[in-house]
Amino acid sequence: MAIEIPKSLDELPTTSPRFVGKDVKRIEDPKLVTGRTEFIDNLVLPEMLHCAVLRSPHPHAHVVNIDTSAAEQLPGVVAVLTGADVKRWANPVTTAPEGWGSYCMAVDKTRFVGEPVAAVAADSRYIAEDACELIDLEYELLPVVVDPRVAMEADSPCLFEEQQGNVMLHRTFNWDDVDEVFEEAEHVFTEKFRWNRVGANPTETFGCVCQWDVLEHSLTCHGAYQTPGFMALGRAGSLNLPSNKVNVISYPQGGGFGGKGGPRGTDIAALLSRKAGGRPVKYIEDRMEYLLAGGGQSWDRYYEASVAVQVNGTVTGFKVKLLDDQGAGAEGYGTISVAKPLAAFTGCYRIQAARYELDVVATNRAPSYPYRGYGPPPHNLVLESMMDIAARGLGLDAAEIRRRNYIQPEEFPYTIPSGNEYDSGNYEAALDKVMEMADYHGLREEQAAAREQGRLVGIGLVNTIEPGVFDWNAYASVGVQGVGVPEGVRVGIDILGQVTVRVGFNLQGQGQYTLAAQLLADYFGVEMESVRVVYADTDNAPPHFGPGGSRLGVAMTGAILGACRKIEEKFCQVAAVLMQVEPGQIELMDGHLRVKGTPEAQMPIAQVAGTMLARGDLLPPGLEPNAETTSVWTAADRTEPDEEGRCKSYLTAANACHLVLVEIDRDTGKTEILKYFIADDCGTRLNPATVEGMIQGGVAQGVGAALLEEYVYNEDGQPLVSTFMDYLIPTIHEVPMTEKAALVTPSPFTPLGAKGCGEGAIHATPAAVMCAINDALAPLGVRANETPGSPNRLWKLIQGAAAAAASATT
Amino acid sequence: MTAPHRVSVTVNGKTYEREVEPRMTLADFLRQELRLTGTHVGCEHGVCGACTILKDGSAVRACLMLAVQADGTSLTTIESLADGDRLHPIQQAFIEEHGLQCGFCTPGFLMTTLELLRNNPDPSDEEIKDALGGNLCRCTGYQSIIQSVRLAAGKMREGNAGASQQSA
Repeated sequence: MAIEIPKSLDELPTTSPRFVGKDVKRIEDPKLVTGRTEFIDNLVLPEMLHCAVLRSPHPHAHVVNIDTSAAEQLPGVVAVLTGADVKRWANPVTTAPEGWGSYCMAVDKTRFVGEPVAAVAADSRYIAEDACELIDLEYELLPVVVDPRVAMEADSPCLFEEQQGNVMLHRTFNWDDVDEVFEEAEHVFTEKFRWNRVGANPTETFGCVCQWDVLEHSLTCHGAYQTPGFMALGRAGSLNLPSNKVNVISYPQGGGFGGKGGPRGTDIAALLSRKAGGRPVKYIEDRMEYLLAGGGQSWDRYYEASVAVQVNGTVTGFKVKLLDDQGAGAEGYGTISVAKPLAAFTGCYRIQAARYELDVVATNRAPSYPYRGYGPPPHNLVLESMMDIAARGLGLDAAEIRRRNYIQPEEFPYTIPSGNEYDSGNYEAALDKVMEMADYHGLREEQAAAREQGRLVGIGLVNTIEPGVFDWNAYASVGVQGVGVPEGVRVGIDILGQVTVRVGFNLQGQGQYTLAAQLLADYFGVEMESVRVVYADTDNAPPHFGPGGSRLGVAMTGAILGACRKIEEKFCQVAAVLMQVEPGQIELMDGHLRVKGTPEAQMPIAQVAGTMLARGDLLPPGLEPNAETTSVWTAADRTEPDEEGRCKSYLTAANACHLVLVEIDRDTGKTEILKYFIADDCGTRLNPATVEGMIQGGVAQGVGAALLEEYVYNEDGQPLVSTFMDYLIPTIHEVPMTEKAALVTPSPFTPLGAKGCGEGAIHATPAAVMCAINDALAPLGVRANETPGSPNRLWKLIQGAAAAAASATT
Repeated sequence: MTAPHRVSVTVNGKTYEREVEPRMTLADFLRQELRLTGTHVGCEHGVCGACTILKDGSAVRACLMLAVQADGTSLTTIESLADGDRLHPIQQAFIEEHGLQCGFCTPGFLMTTLELLRNNPDPSDEEIKDALGGNLCRCTGYQSIIQSVRLAAGKMREGNAGASQQSA
């Protein structure tokens, strides 16, 4: 029988929610602010060893010989792992598309600087690192390819010999009559963009403690795992273990953002444990390892884009050609990041015809891993930049061209050309709100006055769609086989009426445990302190995926409310017997089961629970004395993509409008963000403070991508970024304080009308900042089409423009 | 040169005597030898500030110090702030203003804030940003951290005002 999950806050069995929808303080926080939360590096197990990894200094080479004898002799060293061990015991990871994965350690060849080539387990990390220095490797260098344009050519050095060349994926999607639309257009604008490699960089790097059971042939992995069930399944595959013999115990993570790697480090630690006779092995990746070869690199792209526009500003067509440099393999599911833009390909606009031509290529750089947003942030930069370019070409204001192209509120649910369905939204309201907050016309006047003085002041006004809640079908169009993403919880009420919920994921910073407590406290009319949220490892957890793709708030809410409904139904049956009425006459309200229409006839939940668990004799026949239930939620109506990749891939479409004022210093090329305004609509806000945190955090990462962060490789494939002195994470000085307004267009499809919001502003901020920079540079006739818009790049553009202007007048 | 050294370090008022290798970092000493795991390691090269503690009252990076350099010093770590379940006003302020998300950088921010507010009980936003410019946060985007420090400053001023009233 289908369970009806409440679609809005007023459908909750409470007169007025005390917790859901409010800025409640987080239950995670007391332990976090006292430093008592147990992150993985706190874990110490008896007999535990420490792992250090030796990494390849070459971007492409055969491993000819490895001599570990000196390392093995070092006092304190217990086990040394080489490619030979790995080949014997493990498999390359499965990838999508198939055949682009590697073993956790280089077996016959290494494909990127930083790739593990050996590993040591010793009494301390210090000794393990000493031992690594004693390992002798002989390499036969191979030709290197770091430019994806070169890697695509037939005669390019080939990274994966079993493949024909380095092109992992080539596909063109055509939606509607694109060629015809472009031929008939009154104007066509084309531009090229370069988005340089950036990545997650959570403050805590990846870490794990793995223990191989040599008798039972099973594995336990403790670690900073974002998606425990998925990780367990992957380890069963890579380490040749039955899928029910891998237990993953996730620890609270110091941030994740998708890019925390894990597979290689876990497999290495697990195999070292196996080699060390089953002693637990701890591996804590250090920051340099993370930057070189951890899960920290994503989105390395060359774009060419065109828009077809009518004179009145209507955009009729959008074409994107993408060359994506995945690095040395598809192990990090970076291929998904080229498919996800299908979920919001045409943004907030009513563009009917579109084309997406993809080339996903392997090069001798580190393999690409997921990063918050997972593909749309660069795509959105391109789309919003093209809107501005069209506006400028037509003499239209940036706000005006957008206004003329928005999908209208009455058109929802709206299916975009690439097939995804947007649930709801009001884009014009967001635009109006942000323009009002910023006094847009006042800012344009300020800009005009500044321009008179020769100052480079720019305004960026951009939109974004933030797809949320993906499912098994979302990436089938790029060969990712459906791995279901159900989210399950187990909710129970004990004999004294206290509530416990077991979830399959651990803390990552999004406040999900607080949300769980809010929901249960309001549903059962108890205090938040009466609710206990417990993490269950993969041996004990219901089916789950965990955080990712802005899904967990919605998915967990659905699972919890489903469980609540099931318990409510049972309690109503019990209360009916106790109060001697029909079950249909009982309702739950404000923590009491009561007879409809007779509010005095009521029993508190605790009483019903207690009776249920203590007095089996009083229960209706066939009713189990069990006040605990499991509930698993998935999105409805997900379908297989058609031949053009169209499907309902993401359930929700949050949206935002960002407005930013910048000034570029002519002498230094440095961009200062002067003002920043955001109107954000993610449907019902289950905890507004959490939502604002997601937005502001996304702004920070977006500013980093737009102005500061870049992984640089030289032409020999050597990474030039290995510390935070090279990779510049925004500090408190670089991130603007933003003024935020909330709009609420609930989703008609989700529990409580909430939409995914966790990926936040990273979808919009890079576009906002780069569009503002280009607005500032417009009078000079130059464009900044490469991210980050670093001082060096912008200074060169400004100097180049000045030189061109000077020579034009001579 | 690599022989173990004897060090005597006072941490949060308690004195510890240990033998350590000269190359052991102070961060590792605190976390592994003394099991004071509230101080976190984020980069091990002095940029992120997650390992910030106070040495003789001044903020330092535990990852950039060796344990032997702490011999004879008095250190203050995050573990000293709360008294059982009675949180320090700075900790309370961070909770109230949602000044944390994953919490990994938080101990470093709290110790830096402690030093700031001891030296400057009523800092301007600019002064707050200058003090915290050496602490990286990847989650919050800093806005709620600034609000937290403002609130903390107010709570501490009130607390001191109350204390001095009592003693007057």
